[in-house]
Amino acid sequence: MKLSHRFALRSKLPQAKKFLLLNNRFFQGLIVFIILLLFIFVFSALFNIVWKGIAELAQSIASQEIQFAIRLSLFTSITSTLICIFFALPVAYGLERFNIPGKKLISVILDIPISLPPLVCGVALLLLFGTTEFGTLLAKHGIKFIFSVNGIILAQFFIITPYMIRVLKSTIADINPRLEFVARTLGCSQWQAFCKITLPLAKNGIIAGLVISWARAIGEFGCALMVAGATRMVTETLPVALYLNMAIGDLEMAMASATCLIIISLISLFIFEMVGVRHIPASRIN
Amino acid sequence: MIILKNVSKRLGDFSLKNINISIDNNEYFVILGPTGTGKTVILEIIAGMYKPDIGEVWINERNVSAEYPESRRIGFVYQDYMLFPHLNVRENINFALKLKKTPRNIMKDKLEQMASLLDIERILDRYPSTLSGGEQQRVAIARALVTDPEVLLLDEPLSALDPRSKELFQQELKSIHQEIKTTTIHITHDFNEALVLADRMGIMHNGEIVQIGTPKEVFQKPQSQFVAEFVGMENIYDGEIIAERGEQYVRIASQYLRVVSSLGGKVRVAIRPEDIIITRGKFCSSAQNTLTASIIEIIPRGSFYKVVLDAGITMTAVVTGQALEELNLEPGQSVWAVFKTTAVHVFK
Repeated sequence: MKLSHRFALRSKLPQAKKFLLLNNRFFQGLIVFIILLLFIFVFSALFNIVWKGIAELAQSIASQEIQFAIRLSLFTSITSTLICIFFALPVAYGLERFNIPGKKLISVILDIPISLPPLVCGVALLLLFGTTEFGTLLAKHGIKFIFSVNGIILAQFFIITPYMIRVLKSTIADINPRLEFVARTLGCSQWQAFCKITLPLAKNGIIAGLVISWARAIGEFGCALMVAGATRMVTETLPVALYLNMAIGDLEMAMASATCLIIISLISLFIFEMVGVRHIPASRIN
Repeated sequence: MIILKNVSKRLGDFSLKNINISIDNNEYFVILGPTGTGKTVILEIIAGMYKPDIGEVWINERNVSAEYPESRRIGFVYQDYMLFPHLNVRENINFALKLKKTPRNIMKDKLEQMASLLDIERILDRYPSTLSGGEQQRVAIARALVTDPEVLLLDEPLSALDPRSKELFQQELKSIHQEIKTTTIHITHDFNEALVLADRMGIMHNGEIVQIGTPKEVFQKPQSQFVAEFVGMENIYDGEIIAERGEQYVRIASQYLRVVSSLGGKVRVAIRPEDIIITRGKFCSSAQNTLTASIIEIIPRGSFYKVVLDAGITMTAVVTGQALEELNLEPGQSVWAVFKTTAVHVFK
């Protein structure tokens, strides 16, 4: 169709249609504008810290305190994530595949820490391990959680486990149980079918679960603060270092901690996208 | 020999009721029924995915009701094949052999044997996601057969194939069965598939087996209205058996048809459309039912025509295109409808 002809057609459009066209343009423009607005807000907030923090980063990282915080953060978060997968995998599998009485209720209760403020979780753990006989019994046998590194791991574990369970549950739900059943007709026990079929098929979901749980664990502050306290060079993880240095007005050290945390988040987000996981909770429409 | 004794199972809204089947060794048994009647659940009970609420499952003189699927020696092929997506074709087929730590050379022989039986030598290194439906089907059957199962369970194995591949694969399933003779239970909703493949078949309706027999028996002597309709009988009536002067009749409305039956009283009557012959002139025979009729409608059905007749009762007959032309049939004409005494099927 010739261009001039097209124009002719367009000018002949009835008035109502013209208005509709304008209206659609406006709608599309508005959506893009809102996206841009939010993007600029988030980006400038983060960029500002990194931009200012990065200048002093090398110097701050060389400091004993930040090095201690990085080491402690890595140690506690990796430990708590590993303990977490050890519990979350069987729990997610059982809740998804077995007919356990009260399954729904168990699921809901295990999910509660997600919706609670971390401070409340912290108080709950503090009271359980600090004031009950169970807690004092453990402490007597040398397993101390209150105001100790163990406490940080415990707090991180408590916070991240429900996330991990969610990711793994939706991963397992996407694997047809008949695959396992076919494996069993081919001679697998339940355990073998799980290891040889479900586990390899859930690989990406497990990696995704590990990465987001680890990222959450490393950023955990409120709950750990309640259980382990914020003692310089003792229970000082990266978020605690940020908090303590902010409190005394040492902006360079605070920003160095924040920059480390942002870099860790970016790396984990990148891995998360790399494994191509679409089984993030509540996005199962894919 | 596979025996299901009084098997009942409730699963949500759905239930299997008192299933009794006995399947001989080397038999090809087809369970036929409309979708959603619980055919797959029967297979899953035989295989051990579900325990029956009541009843027993016997495989070759063993009561396996309480056994795990892995010890039942069963080959299972699902409608959607359920190939292991993270393993290639070779690994899928070798899966069971590796599990049993089969020596390498035996594993290689078995794989080759299966691959040639199912004609999949060329795709052994490919992954399931790259295969066509028909290829996946072959791999799934190879994977099930490589363990020498005592029974092969096929859940609607042909339903996902296009009509042409379906027909080819039917023949192939038949020849595979003739070669390896594994007792097979095959589930389908397609009556023609059952006719081609089955040594015997069971018809399912609402969670119950309503008739068991050879395809010929089921086709010719349906024992209920449901089976009669399912196997394509169109002329189904209410009637009453009447004996008169040593002859047996069934009365349908005002029509009397000669019949041979051990039943009496009120019955259902069915006549296959293809058993009814339409003629222009009357020809008499004592063994036949001959009714005068007028043609109501002629409906083309691809290679043949359906002719709807009014013979006091409405009847449908089928004729070939050639017969239609030779007899010069048209709506409104008076004709004779002729059928044998044995074409009149009577059931309660």
